[in-house]
Parts: sequence; C-alpha cells; structure tokens
Amino acid sequence: MKDFALMMIGAALVNNVILARFLGLCSFMGVTTRIDTAAGMGLATTFVITVSSMADWAVQHYLLDAYGLGYLRTVTFILVIASAVQFTELTIKKVSPALFQMLGIYLPLITTNCAVLGVALLLVEGHMSFLGATLFGFASALGYSLVMVIFAGLRERLALAEVPRLFAGPPLGFIVASLLAMAFMGFSGISTG
Amino acid sequence: MSPDLHTVEGIARVVDIQGATAWLEPEQTSSCGSCASASSCGAGARDANPAGGIGTVANRIAARRFALDNAGGLHVGERVVVGVAERALIRAALTAYGLPLATALTAGGIAESTWGSDLATMAAMAGGLGFGLLLARLVARRLSVRGELAPHFLRRAKPGETCGGSTT
Repeated sequence: MKDFALMMIGAALVNNVILARFLGLCSFMGVTTRIDTAAGMGLATTFVITVSSMADWAVQHYLLDAYGLGYLRTVTFILVIASAVQFTELTIKKVSPALFQMLGIYLPLITTNCAVLGVALLLVEGHMSFLGATLFGFASALGYSLVMVIFAGLRERLALAEVPRLFAGPPLGFIVASLLAMAFMGFSGISTG
Repeated sequence: MSPDLHTVEGIARVVDIQGATAWLEPEQTSSCGSCASASSCGAGARDANPAGGIGTVANRIAARRFALDNAGGLHVGERVVVGVAERALIRAALTAYGLPLATALTAGGIAESTWGSDLATMAAMAGGLGFGLLLARLVARRLSVRGELAPHFLRRAKPGETCGGSTT
C-alpha cells in the first residue's frame, strides 16, 4: 500500500506529466483560458488515461510480450488510445445524451494528446502489476489535471492584469508556465524511492 | 452570489424550428480546423461538405444538436449565445468520469488485496467500471430532471461575435 502511495505521489507531483516530462503541452496552452474548461478537459483526460492504461497493460502482457511483437508497441498503443477515446465517447453518449452534449467537445482533443501515449509507454517501462500500472496512469492524469487547473486559474488572473503589450497573451503564459515548472521542481526533494 | 454570475457561454446556430422548440447546433469551439491544413483533414470539412461525413467535425456538431424553448422568437440561421452554470459543468464531468473511475479503482483495490492476482483485479476493475457507468446514468438522469444539464438562452449573438466563452 505504501509503495502504491509513493508511486502515485511520484507520478503526480515529482515527475509531473506536463511540467517535468513536457507532455500534453498543446492542451496545456490551448484549453487553460478558463478554470471550468481546464477542469472538464482534465477529468476527461484522467478517465481516458486510466482506461487506456488498463487496456495497454493487458495488450502488452497478453499480446505483445506473449508473441514477441514488442516492435509494434507504439502503433498498437495509438490504436488502443483511439479506441479508448471512441469507447468513452460512445459510452457517455449512451449513458446520458445530456452529459455528452455538455462534455463531448473535449474527447476528440484527447486522441492526439501525447500525454496519453507517453504515460502508456512509461508504464510499460516500469514493469508494474496491473493495479500498479492503472494507479500510475491515474496518478499521472491527476497531476496533469492539477497543473491544468492551477495554470487556468493563473491565466484567468493574468487576463485582468495590465501587462506590457509585448508580453500580453501567450508570451506571459509561457513565462508563468516556466515559473510553475520551477515551483514543481521543489517536489523533486521528496524521496519516493 | 447568484449562480448566473458564473456561466459558461457558447455560441450556437438555430438550425430548425418545430413549434415552440428551437433546435440548435453549437459552433466549433476548438482551434482545430482553423490551421493551414484544415482543407485536407476532417476538421475543416464543414464548409466543403455542410452535410458532414463520418468522423468530421460537422458530423460531431450535428450529433450535439440540442433543443431550446423558443420563447425569444428565434429564426433559422440566427446565432445565439447559450450558457450553462459553471458548477453544472464540473458536476457533469465528475458524474461522467469521476464516478466510474472511483468505483473501478475501489473494486480493483479490493480484488488485489483479496486475491492478489492480475486477472482477478482486471475483472474486478472492468466490473467496477461498468457499475460506475450505470451509477453515472442514474445521477445524470437526476441532474437532467432538475434541468442542470440543459443550456439556456442568454441573448442573440452580436455580428462577428466568436465563441471564446467568458465569465459574466
């Protein structure tokens, strides 16, 4: 239990997907103009990363490893992720059309989110158990969502601040992102090993 | 603080009027489809093929068509600003994604501590995910009955107004 907790803290904070591994930067800059959209995107990505982690672990162990097809890993995982997004989209549509109308806009964006593929490849390298791999994916996605919401909150405040015209918009966003990344470096002092 | 103070806004176009009900389609809100390669991918296919095809944004938008009470006397082709409460968006996301994940992880944790086998954990998580989705369906139905998931008409869009969405 303690191992799982430390692994999850490491995945969410110390090796944060966005600020330490620099994955998912498109959505990090593109969907963080408002807290609510960032939270919606974060939760949708959390769901997809967790579900695809489960599927990727099973595919890796029972198909790729079993038949010596490791060289097809990246292509296979892309297919699994696209299928996971389609599964999520169809399921939400079936479970509640009203929820789909409200949240469906985020799902197509996740298919091309490199954070999802990055997490899948990382969990294979980690040689984890099924639960460990799923929790690793879940924690990585929680770290992604946390940073998205924090950054969206900062950008909402920045939108109201008076800044030199040259820095307004994305330039200031990048400066703030770098400061946030430096702040997250403080977590690297936590021993999770 | 009034809930209306935190509204997520979006622009939709009236595509049909049926009696007292107006049918609307949301305008594309992501930057996808606006890049230099838009003409060669599905995202930009709406102008070339307004009817849309499988996998195109036009098709996705048509699938997200919703109804509004036409109290404002809307006409086909008009662009209007619609909104949902910010809290409702978060609640909907937690219902659709958070609830199934919570049940799946709980079931997986219990199975791992009971049997300690990957196959048993996998089966338990799949079952937990299914149970969570059923639970989400019940909660969503309750939210829907209370009208929390339905967008409401705010105003007619100004000419050239884009769907950036803003907190009012």
